[in-house]
Amino acid sequence: MSSRLVLVMLLVSACVALCWRTWASGARIPKVWVARRLVPLVLMGIGLCGLLLAGSSGLPSRGLMLHGDLMLPGDLTLSGTAISRAASWRDMLLLQSAAFLAAGLWLLRRSAQQHSGQPRLIPARQPRWGWLLLPTLAILIMLLDHGLGSAVLVLAAVTMVIALGMVIRFPAAAADLATAGLIAAGLGGILFAANPPPVPLPGALAAVPGGPVTEAFAAVSTPLVLLAVVESAVIVAFGLWLVPRTVGPHVRTLLGLEPDAELAGRVEQLTQTRADAVDTAAAELRRVERDLHDGAQARLVALGMNLRAAERLIPTSPQAAMALVTEARETSAKALTELRDLIRGVHPPVLADRGLADAIRALALDTPVRTETDIDLPGRLDPPVESACYFAVAEALANAVKHSGARLVQIRIRHSPDPRSPYADPRPPYADPRAPMPPVPGLLRIEVTDDGMGGADPARGTGLQGVERRLGTFDGILAVNSPPGGPTMIIMEVPCALSSPRTSSC
Amino acid sequence: MRAVVAEDLFLLRDGLVRLLEAHGFEIAAAVDGAPALLRALLDHQPDIAVVDVRLPPSFTDDGLRAALEARRQVPGLPVLVLSQYVEQLYARELLADQAGGVGYLLKDRVFNDDQFVDAIRTVAGGGTVMDPEVVAKLLGRRSRDEPITRLTAREREVLELMAEGRSNSAIAQRLFITEKAVGKHSTNIFAKLDLAPSTDDNRRVLAVLAFLNT
Repeated sequence: MSSRLVLVMLLVSACVALCWRTWASGARIPKVWVARRLVPLVLMGIGLCGLLLAGSSGLPSRGLMLHGDLMLPGDLTLSGTAISRAASWRDMLLLQSAAFLAAGLWLLRRSAQQHSGQPRLIPARQPRWGWLLLPTLAILIMLLDHGLGSAVLVLAAVTMVIALGMVIRFPAAAADLATAGLIAAGLGGILFAANPPPVPLPGALAAVPGGPVTEAFAAVSTPLVLLAVVESAVIVAFGLWLVPRTVGPHVRTLLGLEPDAELAGRVEQLTQTRADAVDTAAAELRRVERDLHDGAQARLVALGMNLRAAERLIPTSPQAAMALVTEARETSAKALTELRDLIRGVHPPVLADRGLADAIRALALDTPVRTETDIDLPGRLDPPVESACYFAVAEALANAVKHSGARLVQIRIRHSPDPRSPYADPRPPYADPRAPMPPVPGLLRIEVTDDGMGGADPARGTGLQGVERRLGTFDGILAVNSPPGGPTMIIMEVPCALSSPRTSSC
Repeated sequence: MRAVVAEDLFLLRDGLVRLLEAHGFEIAAAVDGAPALLRALLDHQPDIAVVDVRLPPSFTDDGLRAALEARRQVPGLPVLVLSQYVEQLYARELLADQAGGVGYLLKDRVFNDDQFVDAIRTVAGGGTVMDPEVVAKLLGRRSRDEPITRLTAREREVLELMAEGRSNSAIAQRLFITEKAVGKHSTNIFAKLDLAPSTDDNRRVLAVLAFLNT
């Protein structure tokens, strides 16, 4: 029995040592492979060993201690507490080993998920450490359970319900508690595992009359003790590893040593998008200034000069003056055309008049490629959001026309109210139903799909990057899916509120 | 002919009134807002209304909506809509009732008063006048599988000018062909667009509609 155990332990430690060496030396086996494949396997191995050995160790199971004191042969009485301690020891090992097995399986599944497929647009969800609170509390109760008897079951049930509620309602606090609990459970586990109780032998429990008393007890085998100590030590290490990931930042934030990481990230993002917004606005103003300077302004100067010349010519040669006046009229028409184009580029009039839905429909009508629209927007958006979305769609359409060789472009726009928002129905209860609806917060989703040749890469062109920056000002995102050979799909999502449609005034 | 003018800028309204009076129109009302325009259109039922798209109170497309509402209540009420910019979307909305008697022009066209007054008379007579810019945009987005592509280049030219609201003689003059040739071209156009024989004016409207709606 124990020689087999030693063999297993040796094998495992050889494996770990080999992997560690390879990993540390950065040799052929990639670190990622070691971390993702070997660590879970080792964990599962330890867990399996623990389960098998604890099961076949001869330690008493928990059911025995309910029988009260046990009369042993001779004059000795083995108290319920002693049996309970031995049972606790065995159960701790079982529980820890099961946890190791589960952790190994979870890691294996997670690494398989991360490994498969293409890089994802949305990063994998962060593990929620709060759930560790449940197994941690189970181990802790096991450690503290001496002489509680069947009351321990009630205690465990109540604790689990409270812990579950905490994990769901306050995940961050649950994670902090779990970290502290893991370290405590691990340290307690080391102490408990290193001082194993005497094992009442099966012979003793069977109460063989006349048997020698000294044979009634045996020590727990050393490899089993070692395994239990190693498991507890790994649990402590894991708890320490978790500290900078859970408790650390919270404590530092509480002490004022460090700003809230989430808030700091948000501030950084806002600083970036604000700078982008200012840059975009400044560039736009420069373009307007240049266009006005080279276009309308120059034409007005020409107009004035023509009219002045005509003025002089009227008394002497009215014919020539006529020609100049005609030219002046044509110049003014050209200036008007240029101003019109400029205004359309700054803020399309139909957008101001009718809102995003009709502006996109008008845009679709003006597009040389057949463009179908499917728009359901029962209200108006904030003007800045409207404008950003309009130019985003315009850019996507222009790309489809210029680069993709598409024959059909489809535009789909929807606004979904945010169901999680407490303001999903923003009217207070018992509000006058005739009162206008306040803006409904939600998410605007725009899809522009073309049947062109695909291969669009937002990293290469400046157009889509500009769109991304512009949408970023409103916390909007842009995703491009354009495999070579098409089709190309551009998805934009902007969190924004939809206000009730403006009632017609006539 | 009695006319209603709706324009919120005083100078432009004054200029329009003078121009129309100089060409022998009688101004029934000159208003500066959409609600007043709707009242004037329904009360006077003029022979022609010249309407700016952007009017108070909301300074968006109130003028257009007032005109559409008036045409809903009085079908075929002739309306010429003026705007600083043209949108196919608005052109379609004006043409949607297929009653004719609508025009949609850029404000710049007022500069050329002869053409402008011609356009007014066409609309008052139940014709359709679209700004050359609308027509040009429509031509820019023709795809292959539409009946309009059955037309020859010359027939398309004739249809374009027809959409701009020109008479047969004006088209003949513009294309340097005889009026008889224009007549022949338009017969071909009507046939190719599968328009049933009816009065010439009505078919012209329908041809333009087919052109705009394909």
